[in-house]
Amino acid sequence: MIRAENLTKRYGDTTVVQDLSFTVQPGAVTGFLGPNGAGKSTTLRMILGLDAPTRGHATVDGRPYARHGAPLTRVGALLEARSVHPGRSARHHLTALALTHGIPRSRVDRVLAVTGLTHVADKRVKGFSLGMGQRLGIAAALLGDPATVVLDEPVNGLDPEGVLWIRTLLKSLAAEGRTVLVSSHLMSEMALTAEHLIVIGKGRLLADTTVDALVRASGGASVKVVTPEADRLRNLLPGAGITLEAPDTLLVTGPDAPEIGRTAAAHGLPLHELTPRAASLEQAFMALTHDSVEYQGALA
Amino acid sequence: MTTATVTPRLTHARVLHSEWHKLWTVRSTWITVLTATALVLGVGILMGATYTSDGGDSDVDTVILTLYGSQLGAIALAVLGILVTAGEYASGMIRASLTAVPGRLPVLTAKAAVYTGVTLTLTFATNLLTFLTAQVFLSDTDQAASLTDDGVLAALAGNAAGITLLGLIALGLGATLRSVPGAIGAFVGGVMILPEVLGMLPYEAMETAVRYFPTQAAGALGSATPLPGAASPGAALLALLLWAAATLAVPALLLKRRDV
Repeated sequence: MIRAENLTKRYGDTTVVQDLSFTVQPGAVTGFLGPNGAGKSTTLRMILGLDAPTRGHATVDGRPYARHGAPLTRVGALLEARSVHPGRSARHHLTALALTHGIPRSRVDRVLAVTGLTHVADKRVKGFSLGMGQRLGIAAALLGDPATVVLDEPVNGLDPEGVLWIRTLLKSLAAEGRTVLVSSHLMSEMALTAEHLIVIGKGRLLADTTVDALVRASGGASVKVVTPEADRLRNLLPGAGITLEAPDTLLVTGPDAPEIGRTAAAHGLPLHELTPRAASLEQAFMALTHDSVEYQGALA
Repeated sequence: MTTATVTPRLTHARVLHSEWHKLWTVRSTWITVLTATALVLGVGILMGATYTSDGGDSDVDTVILTLYGSQLGAIALAVLGILVTAGEYASGMIRASLTAVPGRLPVLTAKAAVYTGVTLTLTFATNLLTFLTAQVFLSDTDQAASLTDDGVLAALAGNAAGITLLGLIALGLGATLRSVPGAIGAFVGGVMILPEVLGMLPYEAMETAVRYFPTQAAGALGSATPLPGAASPGAALLALLLWAAATLAVPALLLKRRDV
């Protein structure tokens, strides 16, 4: 379990993380979402003790990461940038890390196999593709068989097969009862992997919620209705949120598709289309983070 | 997923083992170490083979003459010291190292310990080999000497200690500056060239002080006979130890405070 309490990080006048508090529970994949520059990586580095918080603190299983006797068995981490000497082979890199804890070499072989790197284990990391580099980072994260896994943008640079592999891996790690925290700036990716979401923007907590709740909070589902009798139908649905998309097209929130269909049938109104629409998570995310995007593009 | 039967735990001895493994699993170590050895041995053989008793070098100390290549070898080994520390910042490996060892300080001490052990052993062995090989050529000249002669073994060991301590200064600079080119620049400029410049200033006090600067002190350690205008071996060793300790204390203090 990870607990962040009032985490704050300032560099001079710039506040990168501001008063951030959250808890990450075991047994589920928690997505750590935010636009680029929101302070995700800085927060993760503070959890791992690489960056010292200006204020507040973070604990893993009740104590600061650095206070654990065998930190690699507590938290396995994949950090954003590559953290590997390019001239060392994958096996030697993992062995060097394993030796600090007396983790047996059989475990090195095991994580190489799990990440599909066995055939390149003795090649120098210099020649690795971005995806292979990510896999090596994940191998290092799994090395200590840790109770908590922290991955910073793990799908970056992975091909579709690799993305699928990460999703499956994260879910199985959570199913084994581990705490899994995964950062991403892609809501769509998190929607497929995470159950819980921690959303930040400009270093502040925007939402600590579940994927389902976020969708509901963002206005929920709507129904697209196409009918030549748009005005009449509109009057028959009091209390519903209705926007007129075109003279014959309504976007209705509130009543669901069967209810609208029944109402139209009862009054003999012809319907040309009746389509339930799930709110796009992407839109929910955009709505939530709109004000906190570091670099907003302006339309010329 | 558990395959471990022993309980993994972080210990100083294990961090030392890890640093040993790291040292020998990159090519730059082999390149710098072999370069240093080849330079010392090569120059030593060259000096021995081309020496003539009437060549005007009769007053040069035998060990200094034999180990002329040390000055070049020392640079290669200083670069190794810098790569051991600053190199990890260049590659980003330091983030993995300090995540595995969040106490941080054990990483620096293990690096310094492994470097000291390797460099001292290797340099001393190279020095012995170079001296004995050069003596094959020097045996019928006025530079004929043996290991049992007064001060010879001490000078061969002193030279090795001097080079090791210079290398530790480089290692400390690397850990402080966290940049390979920056640390090489600081070492060449600050440790190798600056004292030479200061020594040329027309102040006697400066001239005396410069004797205790790292390169000059290392030079005094590597002579079988007392050098004119140099510190005594004991004082030189003490000075070098203090320089190395001071240069390593800076990154040791900073390591705990700085973000990685």
